[in-house]
Amino acid sequence: MSRKRLEKMKSAVSDIFELPKEIMLNLPKISMIGNNQMLVENHKGVIEYTPQRIRVNSSIGVIRIQGSEMNLKNIAADDIMIIGEIKIIEFI
Amino acid sequence: MFFYILWNFLKGYVVIRVDGLSLEKFINITVSRGIYLWGIKRQSYTSLTAKISISGFRQLRGISRKVRCRVRIVDKRGLPFIMHRYRKRKMLTAGIFIFLLIIYGLSFFVWSVEVEGTEKVDPQEILFKLESLGVKPGAFKPHIDSMLLENQLIVSFPELSWASLEIRGSRAVLRVKEAVLPPEVIDKDTPCNIVAAKDGIIEKMIVLDGQPAVKPGQTVRKGQLLVSGVIEHPDTIGVRYVHSMGQVLARTWYQETVHMSLKEPYRQRTGRKSEIKYLGWKRFKIPYRKEEIDFSNFEMEIRQDGFIYTEIYYEVEEIQWSKNIAKLKAKLEETALAKVRKSMPPGAKIIDKKLKYDMIDNVKASAVISIEALEDIAVQQIIDTL
Repeated sequence: MSRKRLEKMKSAVSDIFELPKEIMLNLPKISMIGNNQMLVENHKGVIEYTPQRIRVNSSIGVIRIQGSEMNLKNIAADDIMIIGEIKIIEFI
Repeated sequence: MFFYILWNFLKGYVVIRVDGLSLEKFINITVSRGIYLWGIKRQSYTSLTAKISISGFRQLRGISRKVRCRVRIVDKRGLPFIMHRYRKRKMLTAGIFIFLLIIYGLSFFVWSVEVEGTEKVDPQEILFKLESLGVKPGAFKPHIDSMLLENQLIVSFPELSWASLEIRGSRAVLRVKEAVLPPEVIDKDTPCNIVAAKDGIIEKMIVLDGQPAVKPGQTVRKGQLLVSGVIEHPDTIGVRYVHSMGQVLARTWYQETVHMSLKEPYRQRTGRKSEIKYLGWKRFKIPYRKEEIDFSNFEMEIRQDGFIYTEIYYEVEEIQWSKNIAKLKAKLEETALAKVRKSMPPGAKIIDKKLKYDMIDNVKASAVISIEALEDIAVQQIIDTL
């Protein structure tokens, strides 16, 4: 079974059983409050951190966040909370 | 997360400043080792500040060596550091414990007593009774036996039908329910006469049962028969004994003489006053608010409200009695009336009063008060039929 088909099946199973996809598929879960608070769960480390640009690694690639006066409110093994003015979110 | 921060405050945490080139690496390694970081702020390209728990900080040494950065403590926060600062101040610690102990100790006492639910009975009277039974501000709570006190209260106050003493914290609240008193039971089987309780002129007679022996307008002496319980029928020559009942309203007289010394001048309040407030108990009082007393003649009044004592000083003006006859008359009448009232039954109604007063050389005054009252002089007296 190819890797692509396995992913597809996992997605279908989690759809049928209403299981959280971020766990089944090992995806990052990003939740935001307005444009000034962002929580990234299931991350894989910080690549770059400056008040203007934050890059967070994840299973689907790097998430690049651009904004101003950004801080890491708290950081633990699997979640990061970013506060500050967020302008751009990119998946590279 | 809030509880995590609170927990960290109790455990203590430090604010660190990290200088180095690969700060992202530092964050990643720290986090991957399960050390929690919060409040991360990038200060410049080569430095950041973050907050970390004490135990986490101890594990940082290996990481900082690995990623080649320098970690310095900027600030120490939390309870352990505060406690460390005061570790040599033993009396402060002792004070905290003494304070807690006193607070705890004081919770064993009653601080205020309240009475709820009174309608006719004076709550002050109940409070006095409670005080004599041991429930007063300052009473030791474990010594108060609510059940026993409730019973004692109901026994000593026949007007009360129910009482419940509840101690809520430092308040003792007595809730009462007043009883509806049954009318006085008259034993209707016992034959009796009605006689006069005192001298007087009959004004009005309301005879419910029995043979009236006197008429309105007649003067009667004390002990004289007013209503007879012996009814003789001239036709049948039979004698019937009844329980006579009725009201006999009569005019009665009272007289009292009062004397007063005029050496002490009459003191009249001018309206100005000063207060001194004290906080304390019995002999241990500390004044906490003082107002200047800038007058020489004063009258003092002490008020107590829990632990607050207030001394009120009223400025008074001294006036010679001879210069204020109207006041003297009023004062004499007041004292004379109070004296007369004591010898009168509570139901008596004053219908006329006369006051004669005399002044002797401006040093003494005397007054004679004559009162004409209207009162019920009927008293039942059992007839000996044997």
